[in-house]
Amino acid sequence: MSHVAEAPDALSLVVVSLLKGVVYREESPSLWQSLLKLHARVSDQVSVLGLGLALDEPEGYAFLRQRAEGEGTSELPRLIARRQLGYGLSLLLALLRKRLADADAAAGGTRLVMRRHELQELVRLFLPEGTNEVRWVERVNQDIERAVGMGFLKPLGEEDTFEVRRILKAFVTAHCLEGLEQRLAAYHAQLIEEQGGRE
Amino acid sequence: MDFSTLETLRLKHPAWRLLVAGNASLIASFLHRVFVASNARAIPQRELVLRLEDHLHALREQRGETAFPRAASIYLDEWAADSAGWLRKFYPPDTDEPHFDLTPAAERALRWLSQLTEQPFVGTESRLLTVFHLLQEMTEGTEPDPGARLAELERRKAELEAEMARVRAGHLDLLDESALKDRFQQMSDTARGLLSDFRALEDSFHALDRRVRERIATWEGTRGELLETVLGERDAISGSDQGRSFRAFWDFLMSPERKDVLTKNLERILAHPAIQSLQPDPRLLRIHFDWLEAGEHTQRTVARLSGQLRRFLDDRVWWENRRILQVLRGIEKHALALRASPPEGPFLELDELAPTLDLPLERPLYSPPSRSQMADEEVLEATEDVPSDALFNLAYIDKTRLRSNVRQALQDREQVSLADLVRSHPLEHGLAELVVYLSLASEDRKASVDESRTQELFWTDARGLPRRATLPLVLFLR
Repeated sequence: MSHVAEAPDALSLVVVSLLKGVVYREESPSLWQSLLKLHARVSDQVSVLGLGLALDEPEGYAFLRQRAEGEGTSELPRLIARRQLGYGLSLLLALLRKRLADADAAAGGTRLVMRRHELQELVRLFLPEGTNEVRWVERVNQDIERAVGMGFLKPLGEEDTFEVRRILKAFVTAHCLEGLEQRLAAYHAQLIEEQGGRE
Repeated sequence: MDFSTLETLRLKHPAWRLLVAGNASLIASFLHRVFVASNARAIPQRELVLRLEDHLHALREQRGETAFPRAASIYLDEWAADSAGWLRKFYPPDTDEPHFDLTPAAERALRWLSQLTEQPFVGTESRLLTVFHLLQEMTEGTEPDPGARLAELERRKAELEAEMARVRAGHLDLLDESALKDRFQQMSDTARGLLSDFRALEDSFHALDRRVRERIATWEGTRGELLETVLGERDAISGSDQGRSFRAFWDFLMSPERKDVLTKNLERILAHPAIQSLQPDPRLLRIHFDWLEAGEHTQRTVARLSGQLRRFLDDRVWWENRRILQVLRGIEKHALALRASPPEGPFLELDELAPTLDLPLERPLYSPPSRSQMADEEVLEATEDVPSDALFNLAYIDKTRLRSNVRQALQDREQVSLADLVRSHPLEHGLAELVVYLSLASEDRKASVDESRTQELFWTDARGLPRRATLPLVLFLR
């Protein structure tokens, strides 16, 4: 295998795959190997687009990140969209992140697998106790679908079973949860004030 | 073995629970056949369900339709539940399908059961000899005095020389048949026992891992102290008596000469007429490959466990996890207080997992839907026999594509019938594709099949002939 002949192809393959989505070690071992070998060059290539390579070797995933302004690139248009998540979905993701932390502390398997009804149970406690159970189940299911769409939950072969992907850890960080807590606290305070004012 | 210990065991120990289970014969026969007899370690759920269905089917043929009325998958879930503990259900790293493995406890129950029936011949001499050998090894291994050691070696040398002299004179001591059978029995028992030891070993590694993680999660002191105790524990995996013995076994087995000797001797012994008359299990001939396989499995488990543990202890991960658990307590508290009037509007803001690439030219151009003109054409009943195996040999049908067809069709309406679907997305693989649509409908709880109404489907097969099928009305709902 001549190094010169192999490299350009492998580099393109790695960059294109990263542009298309997260690269997991377990899903594509050979791609992962090329990525490890080429990661410096991949970083160079994507920095042209204002992106940075995030590579977590122990966890086995890699993805592209929008580089913050001031990191050398000035005011490039964003390639990676920023999504605002509604309350339900935010709560679901936060609770899933906690489950991941718990699962890490608990036992052997690397994979956190949950059934749909377990996901529903997870948020149920925090939803208004309405009379219309069907409606909240539907809402939670929508949030589950969105989490699937974003790539944080992965439906497995067995029906209504989802894997909580570990990539969630890279996105729902302690920092981002702190932001969520502050907003909730502010909202809570506002609510108390309003209610107090009415009485 | 006092009363209360036994009482707890009877209630709690999976092995005992298996023995007293109402359908113990079903469970034991099945688990033995699938896991023990073939030395399988992890079987995918789908395969195990199929095999249990076969097993149940055979039993129902013998004992009537009403025997064992439940579905295979329900039995399996029951056997894997904590209240039973006979199967371990887990997701291996590289697959989406749950796998099952036997628990060591269930395996012990199976071994005990098999000892009840098996034993056509009880040999005692070989066991006595084993006891002798073991004692001898231990005495020699602990003898610190070189003089005594040498004297022992001299004694053995004299014995060997005497034996050589006897052989030169033409006197060969051969094992008689019963002595041979006796030894064979013991050899095969031990050999098979080793296999179940691996399972137990792996299980105790899992238990060790669990203990360490529990300790980390509940740790109150400083991180330095934690690392000290935990690193001690990590050595405990490979440094435990079990771990060391396993290591030695592994090194022994990995030596190529040893493997050759094993293979040759096994072949010779199994071919011996006296042993042949015992009708030995032919799989014994390759038992060392089974050991290798099982040992490798255990090796991989140990490697994976220590890898995970290391990652978990990583500085960054450790603090992040702690911080997250802390912050989430606050989030939960507020969320609980707010549940009567949940806030509106965006909360978290996250980047997408990948750049959004918009490639206008990648989009397919508009193509007018093809209209099938069937009206004037006479559709003939098929007269020739259609070879049904063609159905099974058909190209792989992409279920996801079909599912996305359904989803797409439902984007702008509440429901779509199978006939409509087939009209907008003509079948590419004919009947087989239709079958996949039907299976989609049966999996989808929101889809309905109305037996009282029918729908007609038309398509053109690979040879260009028009085809028609009449089916009950299948509706996919949003």
